[in-house]
Amino acid sequence: MANEAREAPTLDLVLKRNSVERLKREKSPLAILDELPALIAGGYEQVDEEDIVRLKWWGLYHDKPKIGTFMLRVKLAGGIVSPKQLRTLGEISNIYGRGEGELSTRQNVQLHYLELGALPDVFDRLHATSLTSAGACGDTVRNITGCPLAGLSHDELFDPTPVLEEAAAFLYGHPTYSDLPRKHKISITACADSCAAPEINCVGLVGAIHDGREGFGVLVGGGLSSVPRIARDLGVWVPKEEAVEVLVAILDEWREDLRYRVSRVKARLKFMVDDIGADGLRLRVEGRLGRALESFTLPQAPPPGNHLGVHDGYVGVPVHLGLITGDQMIALADLGHEVRLTRQQNLVVVTDDDISADLARIGLPLGGSALRGDAIACTGEPHCNFSVTETKTRMDALVQLLEAQFGREADGLRLHLDGCPHACAQHWVGDLGFQGTTVRDAEGRRHQAYDVFVRGSLDRPAAIGRPLFRRVPTGELDAAVVGLVQGWIGARSAGETFRSFCDRTSDDELGQLAGREISVGRAA
Amino acid sequence: MSVELLDDLEAGELSVEFEGEEPDVVLEWAIEHFAPRIAISTAFQKDGAVLLHMAYAIDPAIQVFSVDTGRLPQETYDLIDAMRERYPELNLELVAPAAQQVTALVKKDGPNLFYRSVENRLLCCQVRKVLPLQRHLAGLDAWITGLRRDQWATRSDIRKVEIDHDHGAIVKLNPLAEWTEEEVNDYVRDHELPYNALYDKGYTSIGCAPCTRATKAGEDLRAGRWWWETNAPKECGMHCAIETGGLEHELRALVGEDDHASR
Repeated sequence: MANEAREAPTLDLVLKRNSVERLKREKSPLAILDELPALIAGGYEQVDEEDIVRLKWWGLYHDKPKIGTFMLRVKLAGGIVSPKQLRTLGEISNIYGRGEGELSTRQNVQLHYLELGALPDVFDRLHATSLTSAGACGDTVRNITGCPLAGLSHDELFDPTPVLEEAAAFLYGHPTYSDLPRKHKISITACADSCAAPEINCVGLVGAIHDGREGFGVLVGGGLSSVPRIARDLGVWVPKEEAVEVLVAILDEWREDLRYRVSRVKARLKFMVDDIGADGLRLRVEGRLGRALESFTLPQAPPPGNHLGVHDGYVGVPVHLGLITGDQMIALADLGHEVRLTRQQNLVVVTDDDISADLARIGLPLGGSALRGDAIACTGEPHCNFSVTETKTRMDALVQLLEAQFGREADGLRLHLDGCPHACAQHWVGDLGFQGTTVRDAEGRRHQAYDVFVRGSLDRPAAIGRPLFRRVPTGELDAAVVGLVQGWIGARSAGETFRSFCDRTSDDELGQLAGREISVGRAA
Repeated sequence: MSVELLDDLEAGELSVEFEGEEPDVVLEWAIEHFAPRIAISTAFQKDGAVLLHMAYAIDPAIQVFSVDTGRLPQETYDLIDAMRERYPELNLELVAPAAQQVTALVKKDGPNLFYRSVENRLLCCQVRKVLPLQRHLAGLDAWITGLRRDQWATRSDIRKVEIDHDHGAIVKLNPLAEWTEEEVNDYVRDHELPYNALYDKGYTSIGCAPCTRATKAGEDLRAGRWWWETNAPKECGMHCAIETGGLEHELRALVGEDDHASR
């Protein structure tokens, strides 16, 4: 569509069409924090639906069912969390929640079952240890992700942590950058394998040395959800001293363009990049900055690692399905080491000590399969209102099944499972991606089912998966997965990834391995 | 079930393409792709009248259905007659709840159970409206609704083309997603469409007779639905696509209806 030629809409049209834009202008969602005492005094039952929406700006979502408790998402820039902060998170979970917590794919911590009346205490505790949930949800800059080994790894180009911290300090909770057309996701890395998945972020700063100077190449317009896009190269190199300025200029170009505020369906930065191209965005950013940026093409990075296991200076700890209790957070804090969260819903403990016995005692043992450590599943049942299927529990069953059938032979396979198209667990880029849906049997009874995706990956070049089977009833999923994995193990060359195997195998052959008919796409 | 349904990738791209397009463009595409296994779902509100008028012009044989809960206002039945007159070839089906379920519900909690708790109300909506809808949708590949983004805060992200994962992953089309109440009213007036007489009595959203009342100026459009409830979402459970807020999942969590959880 010729969106470039599309005339910019008026603010009147924006406000007429988009109720969230109205809601943001009627009262800043950030202001809702000051109104908490009044909301609590009035009681949960009286809270307006619109104020419930505003609470997202402080990282609060309804738990499921919507009868008065909330999920709280706490932002940890670059996934870095001190022992003191981790203890605070564990204590909030134990005192005000039900001792539950989870690690998210954006290096956040999510707590559940917090009651409205507890929120002032919860926020006091967060702020006392310099934790924040400002902009964890809503039309904001979401948690800025990074390499969990930033500053620790021997093969990183440089430590990007100061840039990441500068960006987070400026953007988190900033009123101007908390009124974006929609959510905005940034990753900043300078590790050798660019492990924070810049390809699926709105803006990915990818460390690059240029003429002996430290800085970043820039990827723009990535994102998943139901309209997935792999980010495109802005074609520039930015010295690290100017990185935040460029991040902000990109944000400003998008934020001020009312074309991206009329409809929330087309609001994300990826649609602006669709419309005007990476070249067009570069020109506009340069115009805003008042200077040309140095041209640069990012080289292809090696596949992103998972940071698991004992290494020089750190221990990568698998957290099965990202589920962690308040007690576990406190026990980890007691070890006294800094902790980093990973995109794979795991964590890294920064230490040279041998902590394997401690980890086993805490219930986070080392030495499990890579399959288990790499598996990602979204929040889903029982917490998330969007999910239509089991997620973490279904993934657990898949992992156990594959471990039982294939032992360590299935290591290297990355399973990603989501309960809805929002793709929090990034099913589009798993070796095997699963998205929850439903199917009816002959008697009209509804069953949980999954669409199955293959050929997606964050290995370079990153690619969006394509559906192989649609609406596989959950009871038939195991057999299909075992068939595919068996086929890969039997036919792979040394070290060949599942994606590579799928790339050289036809859909029909994959269907035969799984014992199912493949899906036929309908021309749209 | 046909396997040639859209997947989320295709639906996502289509929903982006159809942004800024008029409702009849979406309807034409949908009818061309899914007829005859496509239907308009309407409660004969103004939005439904607009859709029906547009779709009838494209294909008079388009299936139209409405769930007759048994508790609709007389004005709605009068309107149905007016519609049948205006559109002589109208292919309309009134879908009834299962008699056995209604009998059991009323026997246990009485005919007006819904005033006593949100759980009761959701149960009544379930028996009289949601389950009949589900049964009817089981025979379709796609359904068309009059949902609009300006109706409720939780509807702000509605897409024109969605995969309805709550209803066997058939396609759900919301051609009026971008329209405002004003645009709907203008269309009804300009085309002299028959509309529910309750609108002239101050109603802005019309459902069952005992559960709907007129709204006051400045009140939310759906504030007259289940007006005695202070907090519960103003949804009956019919429209629970991912972006719409998932009330159907919530319903299961609240009242323990578990056909969904079966493995």
